[in-house]
Amino acid sequence: METLDIELPRMALLYGLCLLPWLLLWLIGLRLSRDIGISILRMSIQLALVGIYLKMLFNLNNPWLNGLWILIMLLVADLSILRRAGLKVRYFAVATFMAIASSILFSTAYLVILVIQPAYYYDARYIVPLAGMILGNCLQGNVIALERFYSALRKNENEYTTFLMLGATRWEAVRPYFRDAVKAAINPTIASMATMGLVSLPGMMTGQILGGSEPWLAVKYQIAIMVCIFTSTTIASIINLKLSLAIAFNAFDVFKDEVIEKR
Amino acid sequence: MTPIIRFDQVSVTVHEKTILADISFALFPGEKAVFYGKSGAGKSSVLRTLLGLHPITLGTIYFQEQPLTPLSVQTIRSCTAYIGQEPMMGAENVRDALLLPFQFKTYRDHRPTEAQLIEVLHRLQLPVAILSQDSNRISGGEKQRIALARGLLLGKKLYLLDEVTSALDAESKQAVFDVFSDPQLTVLSVAHDPEWLERCGIIFELEAGRLTQVKRHGNS
Repeated sequence: METLDIELPRMALLYGLCLLPWLLLWLIGLRLSRDIGISILRMSIQLALVGIYLKMLFNLNNPWLNGLWILIMLLVADLSILRRAGLKVRYFAVATFMAIASSILFSTAYLVILVIQPAYYYDARYIVPLAGMILGNCLQGNVIALERFYSALRKNENEYTTFLMLGATRWEAVRPYFRDAVKAAINPTIASMATMGLVSLPGMMTGQILGGSEPWLAVKYQIAIMVCIFTSTTIASIINLKLSLAIAFNAFDVFKDEVIEKR
Repeated sequence: MTPIIRFDQVSVTVHEKTILADISFALFPGEKAVFYGKSGAGKSSVLRTLLGLHPITLGTIYFQEQPLTPLSVQTIRSCTAYIGQEPMMGAENVRDALLLPFQFKTYRDHRPTEAQLIEVLHRLQLPVAILSQDSNRISGGEKQRIALARGLLLGKKLYLLDEVTSALDAESKQAVFDVFSDPQLTVLSVAHDPEWLERCGIIFELEAGRLTQVKRHGNS
């Protein structure tokens, strides 16, 4: 069963649908034409590029090329996590990279090699979308973990110092903030697993069904991806925070202000 | 007898601002000393530097004649009770706040009994009912005394006190004075309160991060 193609004239028809919201927004006095135009244009160009390189990746299906693609994704995610968490790249780049790389590689390998077992474990058709989806969600979790942890620490610096003065080690003194940060990082995943299928149909499952898969097969893949997202987000945020503890404090356990990006 | 604390030409610079300059003094076990001076003179910084909270730019601090290093800071912290102007309770209610340090590995095996908790509250003129109170609901003066009680429960011998009597009424203040009349306890404090100054054997006067005068009373 092949998915029906959308030919160019009908793509134009599709863009035409945007005229309706645009008109409505204009009528209620929201002048967003520029923003809307730029957003639609960006989406189209970016996805077209993704289409081009995915097509190339799939055609060549070279293990090194697939590996390189994952490496680039990890590097981009690394920088994006630190920028969004407000931490200086020069201090944390290696720690964050190690945290996300180890957890993504582990959970993707587990899923592909042990569970799905394709003929070639490096098959772009499996590792590219799966690693990408896991990474995208893992990224969100790590931004939340780092951001929460370091803002809680700065806000409660007095309390942290009190813990130290009362005989806590660095780890004992940060533990309350550490736990809260990890909880905040994984909560969205836990909540989304709990409501999956009730509130909305998950994107990957919808995509597979449109692509001609049996709903039952799509369900199994959706469960697989959720379990992997949950696993990798938990592992990555814990490793990431743990590694950052060795970076963000001086030898006297005092938090180093200079590791935070001043905004 | 060796000093418990010795500052040897200590200077501290934070963000290119000198907060302590060339401070030297020694404190022997059982002595009660106070730093006195205008606000911003660096009084609290002396206490915080001793605890390793400010990096030392020049000079050395000795604790029991051991230099302050990342390795020895843990020892200093575990022998010292630091009580600030508005101490953090670090727990929901007062009982948990008092027992907080006993959840850390260092003190895990020294958990006090209920009788010991009540005894220490009595010493500091605090009602037993305060144990079940919410930490956010107690006054600044009560917080200071709870922090002090925590130090006593931990069996600390060295007390770094930052304006500890500032929020106390006469009766509670007397209770605090009584606690520190114990010759076993060593005190390094920061205060403006004349009654407190009178009870300290040594008065260090600080001005713009420099030690300008040292006065000794005979009555301590």
